[in-house]
Amino acid sequence: MGSNYLIREGFKNVFKNKKATIISLITMICTMFLFGTFFTIGENVNSILEQVQKKQGMEVFIENDATDEQMSSLEEQIKALEGINTVTFKSKQEALDSMKENLKDNQELLEGYEGENNIFPASFIVTLTDLGLAIDIEAKIGAMTNVKKITSNNETILALMNIANIFRMAIGVIFGFLLIISITIIANTIRLTVFARRKEISIMKYVGATNRFIRWPFIIEGIIIGILAAALTIFMIGAIYNGVIQWIEQANVLQSIGVTLLQFSEIVKMIAIVYLALGIGVGVMGSSISMKKYLEV
Amino acid sequence: MIEFRNVSKLYETGTEAVHDATFTIDKGEFAFLVGTSGSGKSTLIKLILKEEEVSQGNIIINGKDITFLKPRRVPYLRRSMGVVFQDFRLLPDKTVYENVAFAMYIVKATPKHIRRQVPMVLSLVGLSNKAKMYPNELSGGEQQRVALARALVNNPSMIIADEPTGNLDPETAWDIMNLLNEINARGTTVVMATHAKDIVDKMKKRVIEINAGKIVRDDRKGGYDSGK
Repeated sequence: MGSNYLIREGFKNVFKNKKATIISLITMICTMFLFGTFFTIGENVNSILEQVQKKQGMEVFIENDATDEQMSSLEEQIKALEGINTVTFKSKQEALDSMKENLKDNQELLEGYEGENNIFPASFIVTLTDLGLAIDIEAKIGAMTNVKKITSNNETILALMNIANIFRMAIGVIFGFLLIISITIIANTIRLTVFARRKEISIMKYVGATNRFIRWPFIIEGIIIGILAAALTIFMIGAIYNGVIQWIEQANVLQSIGVTLLQFSEIVKMIAIVYLALGIGVGVMGSSISMKKYLEV
Repeated sequence: MIEFRNVSKLYETGTEAVHDATFTIDKGEFAFLVGTSGSGKSTLIKLILKEEEVSQGNIIINGKDITFLKPRRVPYLRRSMGVVFQDFRLLPDKTVYENVAFAMYIVKATPKHIRRQVPMVLSLVGLSNKAKMYPNELSGGEQQRVALARALVNNPSMIIADEPTGNLDPETAWDIMNLLNEINARGTTVVMATHAKDIVDKMKKRVIEINAGKIVRDDRKGGYDSGK
């Protein structure tokens, strides 16, 4: 029964101290919103990087006079290298077909290249598990026999990755600052609430309440505000996120490099966990820190 | 019940509020602590409540030496005493009933016990018909009676009252005194710090006088001033 009373008191406090509740709510929503913005951007950067890493690799063109055995031996050699994700064979016919597709309206340019006359070389499309190894691998494959030429845009992608890494670090730092700021602000807000109720606390102490008994309603209050803030922020972030995603997809920027953004449903779980942990954690910590002084009667 | 053995209290500011106080208040007694403001009365009360630590000596309450009681155990000590203050100290956003019931929630009483016990003490202090009112709707005397009901609700073995009539007019003050007397007659020890001369003189109870931190008088049936 004791716990029932404490939970009820916690709920009552949320509605009784409307001003403090609203201040805490707004503070929490603001921090969570900033937090969420950086979090979603960060998650997308990570996801894009992963997609890019998986997709991007190089096209290894094979000498025209290579035999089937030589080609399969070359394939084995490439597969044996460290950091290789997939190796896909693209025959001369497939090379021609894809070129045809690229030249939709100008098919006449490719006339006469069918069959025996196909000048397009066969190739291996090689993707990597770690783009960091790209230059190294490119050099190794280039040294193999029957390799005519290697094309890749690894350098552009590596440059992109460097930018993304810097961005990721920046997000981490901002993350840390936001966390410190939000705990400080919320601890202070709770301190104000506790100060406003110091009389109540001292009365409880005189009647023989244990510190735990006094602390619980405040902690529950903190948790309720945390959960409320988390729910509201998730709604806001969700609405904005979906809007932005749609806009970006319509702008057709990302498809051209073959990556997609995360859907909100894919990150909402993570955000919810982070928010709840943040809300509950800050509620518990804030109330514990700010009550210490008044419990010593 | 309450025993002080050579108790001294030196505040960090250097003031010695209590000096070598030794006295015993037995079970069922009614004792006044008298003295002018700043004489050390309040410090004595604070020492009993373990709100302040003694600098020297020992305090024994209900047969237990509380001098080195762990802070964690202090709430349990306080549950053995009902406390009443000059400024009532009621929770303004709780009704009379809730203010009293609150003290029972703290000791984890069952809802059934609470529903039975609270109306009983409210009727004892004569406030049954005001259970649903808030403290600011009550007169000073009524508020103090709520505070008394709260102090009594857990059946403490003693009532510690710090100037309980200090904010009340003489007539209301006597209502409270009669209540305290009645409570005492039921076997509860009452310790009351006061400087209400007429009350002390008329009640003819034990008087412990403290002056500049020293116990200067301890009369079985005394008046406010010595020699009465």
